[in-house]
Amino acid sequence: MPVWHKATKAWREQGKLAVVGITQEQHAQRCRLFAQWQHIDWPILHDPINVTGPSVVPIVMAIDEHGIVRSVRPNVRTFERDFLDRTFEPPTGDSDAKPNPLVAPDLAHAKSAAEQSNTAAAWKQYGDELVLWGGDEQINSAIDAYRRALAIDPDDGDAHFRLGVCFRRRSETSLRDDGDFQRAVDAWGRGLDIDPNHYIRRRRIQQYGPRLAKPYPFYDWVPRAAEAIRARGDVPIELAVLPTGAEIAHPQRRFVEAEHKDASPDPEGRIHRDENELIQTEVVVVPARIKPGESARIHVTMRPDDGRQAHWNNENEPVMLWVDVPDGWQTDRRLLTAPLGDDPESTETRSIELELKAPDNAQETVRVPAYLLYYVCEGVDGTCLYLRQDLPIDITLAP
Amino acid sequence: MPRAIRRTVSAIIAALLATCACTTLPAADYPPQVGQPHPDVLLPNIEDRAPVALSQFRGKKLLLIQFASW
Repeated sequence: MPVWHKATKAWREQGKLAVVGITQEQHAQRCRLFAQWQHIDWPILHDPINVTGPSVVPIVMAIDEHGIVRSVRPNVRTFERDFLDRTFEPPTGDSDAKPNPLVAPDLAHAKSAAEQSNTAAAWKQYGDELVLWGGDEQINSAIDAYRRALAIDPDDGDAHFRLGVCFRRRSETSLRDDGDFQRAVDAWGRGLDIDPNHYIRRRRIQQYGPRLAKPYPFYDWVPRAAEAIRARGDVPIELAVLPTGAEIAHPQRRFVEAEHKDASPDPEGRIHRDENELIQTEVVVVPARIKPGESARIHVTMRPDDGRQAHWNNENEPVMLWVDVPDGWQTDRRLLTAPLGDDPESTETRSIELELKAPDNAQETVRVPAYLLYYVCEGVDGTCLYLRQDLPIDITLAP
Repeated sequence: MPRAIRRTVSAIIAALLATCACTTLPAADYPPQVGQPHPDVLLPNIEDRAPVALSQFRGKKLLLIQFASW
């Protein structure tokens, strides 16, 4: 893509060519940062739910002045001769399709159409328009629309994928519901099961998945981009959702198992349990199902309970996660920690990620015992306690 | 609404959905074959979420790049 950006600069400046990008990413802001970093000045459109339809990217197309595709994956070296300098005749016959008006679709109209016709296509259309044009406040309606579409046509892989995009998006907002991230992974997995050759769906799982299954680190360029932008005196676009963990992890060809030197910090379970769930936890397994010999990435998220004014106590040891790996299974880390906050007390969401690899002869779904240890305080100037939360990790084996 | 009228309305709406140049496209058979029109599509610009349609670029030669930053 940078090749085309550089190659087309003069043609764009001469008015011989327009360039438009469509990005298939979940987060538009990240692509904005990329464009800022790469000095991309042509419009980029956001298609997080893959409505345009490619099953793999990148795809480059040369489209003539009549809207006709003249080349798919053109050769940059012969592009001027083969496309720019040629004259193309308009297609014969009238086209039935009217150009899109340059206004966001009428959501009320789309809703009415879906309710009236009650077809899977109409509900999916309504969901699409809510996602693309409705903002975060419409995300629950979009989820409902896709669920209605899937109730009519449960084999629609696109609808599963788009539902997953909605769950992931909701998980990053204040509308978050417990389990949203896992629902997203499950929905993407169902979409991929329906079409295993659909790389847009596969990449979305790999973005959050284990290093053995990664084709590349997805967002490791973000710090470099921000640094380069600052170095030239500009302010990098701020990301609302910073890529971390799996999203910046590098691929591995071989699973590197943790050394066995670490010992369980509470082997007899003597630390009091967090009965009131002052720290609310979520465990997400990516992908949702694995085959024997494959690995999964486990995302553990911890949030102090707002309702009880719970907060981290940062003047002690960091949060610890211990994993009791079953026989035959492997993990890249047994004892993990999450960094402390800078202030004596804080309420931020914390996360820990690890990977588990199933033995080649694994046959059954397993529950991997794990637990968290943390210092947490309740209320303003309230009691601070050192507590344990048992956190079983359920790994589902694919048949 | 009587059932017959409801059926007629549903059929009209389904027909409209099938023929209008809407935000979304049938995802099958992408990319279009050489010599075929690229379907119009209306999507938000990442900068300001303003709607942009590919049909805006009719009359110009266009390079369309489907990509991700990764």
